Amino acid sequence: MKKHKIKKRDLAKLLSEWSNEFTILTPSRAEGATKWTKWDGVDTTFLDWYRNTTVPPKALFLPAMEEMFSFHRDKEGYHIEAPLLDTPKQLVFGIRPCDARSLALLDMTFRDAYEDPYYLAKREGAVLVGLACTRPYDSCFCTSLGSSPDDSSHVDLLLTDIGDEFLMEAITDKGNKLLTSTSFTETAGKAAETRAKESKETAYRKVTRKINVEGVKDRLLSCFDNKDYWEKVALKCISCGICTFLCPTCYCFDINDEFIKNHGERFRNWDSCAFPLYTKMPVENPRPEKWQRLRQKVCHKYEFYPMNFDVIGCTGCGRCIRLCPVNWDITLALTNLPAKAECEQEK
Amino acid sequence: MKYGEMEQKLRREARALLKEGRVDIIIGFENGSLKFTTTPLITSDEADIDRLVINPFINNNLSVFLTETKGRVGIVVKGCDSRSLVSLLQDNKVTRDDVVILGIPCPGIIDLDKVEQLAGKERDEIIDISWAEASVVVAVEGERKEFPIQEVLYDNCLGCELPTPKEYDILLGEPASSIGVDNQADSLTKIKQLKDKPPEQRWSYWRNEFNRCLRCYACRNICPACFCKRCFVEESEPQWLLPVPKWQDNLIFQVTRNIHVVGRCTDCGECERACPVNIPLRSLSREMYQIADELFHYKAGMDKDIPPLMATYEITDSEDLVK
Repeated sequence: MKKHKIKKRDLAKLLSEWSNEFTILTPSRAEGATKWTKWDGVDTTFLDWYRNTTVPPKALFLPAMEEMFSFHRDKEGYHIEAPLLDTPKQLVFGIRPCDARSLALLDMTFRDAYEDPYYLAKREGAVLVGLACTRPYDSCFCTSLGSSPDDSSHVDLLLTDIGDEFLMEAITDKGNKLLTSTSFTETAGKAAETRAKESKETAYRKVTRKINVEGVKDRLLSCFDNKDYWEKVALKCISCGICTFLCPTCYCFDINDEFIKNHGERFRNWDSCAFPLYTKMPVENPRPEKWQRLRQKVCHKYEFYPMNFDVIGCTGCGRCIRLCPVNWDITLALTNLPAKAECEQEK
Repeated sequence: MKYGEMEQKLRREARALLKEGRVDIIIGFENGSLKFTTTPLITSDEADIDRLVINPFINNNLSVFLTETKGRVGIVVKGCDSRSLVSLLQDNKVTRDDVVILGIPCPGIIDLDKVEQLAGKERDEIIDISWAEASVVVAVEGERKEFPIQEVLYDNCLGCELPTPKEYDILLGEPASSIGVDNQADSLTKIKQLKDKPPEQRWSYWRNEFNRCLRCYACRNICPACFCKRCFVEESEPQWLLPVPKWQDNLIFQVTRNIHVVGRCTDCGECERACPVNIPLRSLSREMYQIADELFHYKAGMDKDIPPLMATYEITDSEDLVK
């Protein structure tokens, strides 16, 4: 695989070149909250402020709302119009290793367990150009989950900041091809690699939040019925949708029709297990209390994902901690989980 | 600021309240897990009492928890929070005998977004923020920057009308009649700029803002005035409002919410603070507050012994409500 480098001032030229083939998506704050939007063809100042986006890149593949198909009604009845299956070629530039990992986790549900045509149409044409972190947040804890600020496992190409330049390491064939087709990069020498190594090590040390996830699945399993514990940790939760909507791996959705004057659209939109309506059924609600709903969120990541896919469904991106209006902290809820024996004794 | 003294008094009083069985639960603040952040502490355990803190970062309005806690509660409130609490008393959502109000004379809360802007560093990269008299000193790597206090307080704090709770059982510090910042108009700058725009521009402004609303309902859930057990947005049979986050539906949700909380909203600013996508929600709620005052001479949560604004009608009431 190729190892190249590029001067930061040449980045716009490179992106322009790539934009002949791809829609380039970069972090942006133009819309009032940081999120991924189509690159304007000029601006690379996001490199100065970008640490991570508030709205995770899952929104590119599973948008907050998405029209699935439209339909109309006439004398003969209802008619469904063909689904809108967009197959864009998107290049996500600067995705953080944790968020690239989140897409790999979403793939397990939307590609492996089910084949979701809407998700896959967008996902399969996408190229992920990762940007190793240099300024992780104090809420980040990726290193506790087997990842790191420079984890290249789920990107096609990884960029590392080495001062005035980026080291560009191709990870997949897609990434290799990106480097083949450009004239603005040059082959990286030993010096660039040494600087990248230093940059990566410094970033690794900056991730200071740690949790112990050893045996977490079993610990949660044995504490599932520990109502006292879950009630206590849930007391200050306000049951809003922030930590689920903005979680890069939460994928629950709802389906709604809008039907006006014989014409309608079917949408799917993000839903959240934090909402009482989420589990409301005609006869009952199996999770009427907020502690049950909060437990669901934690268990989905740390118990059910390991059960179904043998992997923890959290990337340690820290969004749920830093965006929570009451600073509810999942790492504390997991750390303070009563010991297995203690929970079993209570049963 | 004498936070240390207030904190010590709070811990003494809270411990006594639990010990003597005068309350079942204490609701206060403790240090959060992130820098310059506090988090609600809701506990019945005396052992937790030493974790209670009072500092310039206690931004949550804890009265939001009163409608869901059972038993008698000792609750820590700032001036604005006390007004929300009083409003809940007026609406019979909370019984006065069930609460012991631990009042804080509040000099204002530091807005970390403003500090980040001024210091050019994000909150977790700032070493220290300290408040001395009329200024705040922000220490970042290699330098210390000083800013006048009015530049770093929340907009709603700048216009604070009740820093010291009027309704309380125990006051934790010396009462103050103002936060000591002489620029209340700054509290309304953003709103004034918006009001000066022609209606079409204002419409496109809000359309743009609500376009990014995710309908996470943090603004509703953090709001003590939004106490309905059943919210209209969750009525599904029939469905009142599409849960899909289209800007039109998002706008209807927020406008309806504002109409529902007028006369109850105390301008505590929690809705805007909670919004993860930075929608300037206070620009709506503060304007509603203003209108309630102009039309009905009513300010929410100032007097527990009068009926709530929307539950009364006087023959002399202004008819200018609908234009």
